[in-house]
Amino acid sequence: MKINTRSSSPSLSRRDWLRLSACGAFGVSMSGWLAALAEEAADSKERRRSCILLWMAGGPSQMDTFDLKPDHENGGPYAAIDTSVPGIQISEHLPKLAMQTEHCAIIRSLATKEGDHARATYLLRTGYLPQGPVQYPTLGSVWSRELGNDGSELPNFVSVAPYRILSPAAFGPGFLGPKYAPLVVGDGNPFPGRNADYEKALQVKNLAAPAGVAPEQTDARLALLGEFETDFASRHPGVPPTSHRAAYLQAVRMMRSEAVKAFDLAQEPDALRDAYGRNQFGQGCLLARRLIERGVPFVEVSLNGVQGGQGLGWDTHMDNFEQVKRLSGVLDPAWATLLEDLATRGLLDSTLIVWMGEFGRTPKITNNTGRDHFPAAWTTVLSGGGIRGGQVVGKTSPDGMTVADRPVAVGDFLATACLALGIDPMKQNASNVGRPIRIADPEAKPIEELLA
Amino acid sequence: MAAGLFAAILLHRSDAPAGEAPATETTAPAGQDDARLLARRIDELIAFRWKAAQAVPAPPADDAAFIRRVSLDIAGKIPTVSELHEFLDDSSPEKRQNLVERLLDGPAYIMHFANVWRSVMLPEADSDRDIQFVIPGFEAWLRKQLTANTGFDVLVREILTVPVDPRLATNPFQPQSDVTPVGFYQAKQLKPENLAAGTARMFLGVRIECAQCHDHPFDDWKREQFWGYAAFFAGVERDQNGDKGALDAIREMFGRRELTIPGTEKKVVPTHLDGAQPQLKFRDSPRNLLADWMISSGNSYFARTAVNRLWGQFFGVGIVNPVDDFTADNPPSHPELLDELAREFVVHKFDFKFLIRAITASRTYQLSSRQTDKSQENPRLFARMALKGLSPEQLFDSIGQATGYYEPYANRNNVGMMNTGAREDFVQMFDNRRDSVIEQHTTILQALSMMNGQFISDATGLEKSATLSAVADFPLMTTGERIEALYLAAFSRKPREDELEKLVKYVDAGGAAKDPKKALSDVFWALLNSSEFLFNR
Repeated sequence: MKINTRSSSPSLSRRDWLRLSACGAFGVSMSGWLAALAEEAADSKERRRSCILLWMAGGPSQMDTFDLKPDHENGGPYAAIDTSVPGIQISEHLPKLAMQTEHCAIIRSLATKEGDHARATYLLRTGYLPQGPVQYPTLGSVWSRELGNDGSELPNFVSVAPYRILSPAAFGPGFLGPKYAPLVVGDGNPFPGRNADYEKALQVKNLAAPAGVAPEQTDARLALLGEFETDFASRHPGVPPTSHRAAYLQAVRMMRSEAVKAFDLAQEPDALRDAYGRNQFGQGCLLARRLIERGVPFVEVSLNGVQGGQGLGWDTHMDNFEQVKRLSGVLDPAWATLLEDLATRGLLDSTLIVWMGEFGRTPKITNNTGRDHFPAAWTTVLSGGGIRGGQVVGKTSPDGMTVADRPVAVGDFLATACLALGIDPMKQNASNVGRPIRIADPEAKPIEELLA
Repeated sequence: MAAGLFAAILLHRSDAPAGEAPATETTAPAGQDDARLLARRIDELIAFRWKAAQAVPAPPADDAAFIRRVSLDIAGKIPTVSELHEFLDDSSPEKRQNLVERLLDGPAYIMHFANVWRSVMLPEADSDRDIQFVIPGFEAWLRKQLTANTGFDVLVREILTVPVDPRLATNPFQPQSDVTPVGFYQAKQLKPENLAAGTARMFLGVRIECAQCHDHPFDDWKREQFWGYAAFFAGVERDQNGDKGALDAIREMFGRRELTIPGTEKKVVPTHLDGAQPQLKFRDSPRNLLADWMISSGNSYFARTAVNRLWGQFFGVGIVNPVDDFTADNPPSHPELLDELAREFVVHKFDFKFLIRAITASRTYQLSSRQTDKSQENPRLFARMALKGLSPEQLFDSIGQATGYYEPYANRNNVGMMNTGAREDFVQMFDNRRDSVIEQHTTILQALSMMNGQFISDATGLEKSATLSAVADFPLMTTGERIEALYLAAFSRKPREDELEKLVKYVDAGGAAKDPKKALSDVFWALLNSSEFLFNR
């Protein structure tokens, strides 16, 4: 994608629209260059991009992953290791990822204000704070709507093992409506025992007809249903029967589609499956690749805990270093293998991988050898396509307590990801309260140097 | 000026030129109650607009369609087959009215409307697990009000004036023990701005929250007005010694009576939306003054918003639509009707049962949902009944009713993570169906769950479904009678001739499995998966 090489001014109608738009008219601080950038991104229709969100539930410790301070007392016991990019160091427990750092852009200067899991999760996953009755959609719903196709065999948004309990609204389609809801596989349930069979959980629920109902019987049932529907719709035309028929058609299409074999991980070679890691997150990343390969534009995979659905696994108030080490042991092979695997298949250039949690963790180590919630200065990573990898953006102070250089707001970060995906972050969607809402915060200033 | 505008709207409650609508009949036949009179008035005003728009109304709904519709609307679920038979066999001319009375007196009315009002008043709790623990206490309180048939004015006064006191706060660890509306404050995170936005939207039908950050773009609300209104809640706060969200202690400081508009130096004192600044009393919550103003006869927005919301509940579309968006740019479709409903609501002591009687007795409500003329496509003419989506609870309870599945009450309303019942799973799967009732969308996962899910396959399987096994195994029935029984259970109506003929052929041939019993289960499956079952028609 070319950036800033052309100074095109936004079209009149677009500018008028922005000016006329409701609350936006007061919040707009969109400078000309951003408008131009966004225009250009939106114009490049030929780019079919996909996004994989690696969601770190609970808030991962930046000091023990991507922003190490080995020389400071806040640093903890981990060593920083060299990476494939001279001058960039990351945690010793992410050795495989260190070999792929040329594909990663590390942002060490996220600065937010929310230290509560539910609110911060909502903020990071929708781009907005919970605000009155507006039901903001989650990123997957908004972005897949921009990137996806209405008629595809597979849903445009698949969510693997979301742990939704603390903030369910942060995982749903909000005002965009159920059409943009994710297809959910994998079990995010926190109770031990329910996740023992993670492979089964990664399959789509209810895809097979009930036991004892043969395929011919399903056909016969659908034929009966089809007659009921045709008759009913002729008497009651309108949205409800139309949407009912569309959903059933898509469901049946999925039940019978070849593409649904994406969920059959047994088709992959054992060695590759081992490389991703034989756990829910690792196999979830493999599933993400299989889905992207078949045209699904947005897949998110949650890392909730080492054993799969543990909940807020990264919420390491106690025993931080042992836990982060084990979580890194799951994260590192999965992410590194994903990058490699996508590259092998020629998909890396068109796939953006976003790594983030809801906040970071306190630099100061607590009496419980833990780290608490810390939104003031923390890290996220963009990797893969659409960005310039092999660089670090921003800097924290030597003790990690403050952002020392280039503070990045959530909106800035998400708008950058949008542009990397070819999405216009300033595009507006009609909301449930009657006023239009932009894809990203209208105040957002994308991180220009990250964009490829 | 917004205050002036608001006052103007309060004084001139409708914008329509006088004399345009037919005058109220003054000679009411003796013995006809007020609800019937209001029902006739509804029909007159609705028909008046049909004429102007050259709309042709749909024919009246038959008895079967009526009992299904009114049962879903009042009791939250479809009728049982025996209720249906009893109603269809009743030859009394008053039978529709009697049915409404029976439903209004039943426990299902209380359960259903507790759910409806809770979802209107605490919409946050549908999705935010952090505050779901306030649901049981709040719904228990609503059920108490509904049982006593408390007037809406008294109910709202209680919400606005309930002491915000740590000793009365809903305790997340014993949520069943409290019967209090204080959860309303917890759900709004004890923030004056959230309380202002929520109460204005719910009780006044105005969306002033846009004015929180800047002057309202569409309407005339100024930032200062928003914060002046919010200042009635200025003393409400969470104890700051912790960050546990809604779990923290709550309190109200009576002495704190002003708010500073964020980002400015400007302080504002409690000011009503019509511009009046009430005289505050020593050691008394300003919220009491807000409640006085809110439900006073001078504030017609209160009654108009309430009746409009109830109308929307029964018709799927408000007279002002969306139901909480009263602005100059969004005029009512039937201004005189809105005024009259509001006036009668006030005269009848804000009694929702009175309004429900009037609405359900109207010819308008009793129209068929079947479209017989193109002019019925505009839902705001009310020329046919709209197809209304079911809430997750209505859907679950109706499947239970149709299939004979019962879940023990103990499984309901448990809090958060302990909730593993089929009802909870179902409600979660079908959540997000509460909005835009007449344009409800179905998701792929919902379709898959209805087609193949355990709950439905049990319900349509020969082993576990009470209805299906009874119908399939009863020896003395003809195939036609068996199919009719399934129609009555699921669609609350008898099959038409053409339907019956086709399905008898299908079942007698044994369907794909060459087994008439399995073919019956195919029919039941298709009935339960069809739009006719999944919508309130």
